Amino acid sequence: MGWFSSRGSSPRKEQPGRAQAVAEPDVHRSLALSALFDEIRGRKVQVLDLGSAVGSNVEFLSQFGCKLYIEDLYAALSTRKPSGEGELAGPEFFAEFLAVPDETRFDVVFAWDLFNYLHRKELIHFAKQLRHHCNPGARVLALMSILKTMPAQPYRFKIQDEQHLIYEPRTGSERPSPRYAPAEMTDTFKGFRVDRSFLLRHGIQEFLLAKD
Amino acid sequence: MVWKKSDDPPAQAHHPEPSPAAAPRPAAPAPAPVANPGSSVSSEPPRRSDRATIGASIFIKGDLSGEEDLIIEGRVEGKVDLKQNNVTVGKNGKVKADVFGKVVTIEGDVVGNVFAREQAILRQSGGIQGNIQAPRVILEDGSRFKGSIDMEAPKDSGGANRDRDHRTEPNRAEANRVEASGVKASI
Repeated sequence: MGWFSSRGSSPRKEQPGRAQAVAEPDVHRSLALSALFDEIRGRKVQVLDLGSAVGSNVEFLSQFGCKLYIEDLYAALSTRKPSGEGELAGPEFFAEFLAVPDETRFDVVFAWDLFNYLHRKELIHFAKQLRHHCNPGARVLALMSILKTMPAQPYRFKIQDEQHLIYEPRTGSERPSPRYAPAEMTDTFKGFRVDRSFLLRHGIQEFLLAKD
Repeated sequence: MVWKKSDDPPAQAHHPEPSPAAAPRPAAPAPAPVANPGSSVSSEPPRRSDRATIGASIFIKGDLSGEEDLIIEGRVEGKVDLKQNNVTVGKNGKVKADVFGKVVTIEGDVVGNVFAREQAILRQSGGIQGNIQAPRVILEDGSRFKGSIDMEAPKDSGGANRDRDHRTEPNRAEANRVEASGVKASI
């Protein structure tokens, strides 16, 4: 997959020649996040965070008294043994990745922007694995890029408050965005439906998927 | 010596020569007051701030329990059970064990579960592959963590450990030293 540096996927317009520089974090309002917290308030929930461990998120979520699982999907994908160009992660990878006790059931999954970095077939495999470990009605928060390009690596997301997310880029490089349409999301993420969807001005469509 | 036990013997042990019973000895400067200021001239139990260190060249396989703070810079496999005290796994520390403590600070690597009665802290240099159970958890950015965090406040003093099978609390009279039961150490 090619790497691009000429177009920005963030609301900021990148200056020519500075595409490799890691940009400063941006704060964006998140409508899906606030909708999600409205739903889990007062409940003891089990949360799966597919991003990297972020201290401020842990601290923020501690107010909900939840049990938080952190499984860094991108790190796992990055470190898996490459067996060939274009090789996709199969069901075995996702079973090993999400090796929680079989009885574990999540109520909330923070997928952040990671689905942008999965091939359609990988999404299908992952959805199958995730579906098994989600309670009925469980919510999955996914942030999909609708721009032509996106950062070559996922953002690190920090919850600033119930309505705002800090987007912390890890790289200045970019790559093409898969631009999954809502219909594709439900086709690939079988067993989940789009509960809420918010199109944001900075080129991100927020999805709250709900397990049937 | 890397394993440092802070509960030094009473002061008489450092002065084997007979001393006149009637003449009070002037307070002599303690030879190592910094490490253990409370124990050089008194038979009182060591203060709670005393701490032991497992040095970088030490490997312990077995269970560790006791009632003083502990710093681990070496390797430990088994179980670290100091529920009333602070446990620190230093930057060089490698622990393959469940760790029980009051405040547990991880700067090195832990494979196992961490149970902290008050707070668990994972420093930037640290990594945990296991679960954390503590009322308050601090993860510094850049730290490595894979597992779950249960932040429900404990309902009683042993709340963080309530689901665990514990050994009996050590007797208070014996509580001034770190015990290593079934310990095998190699240097």
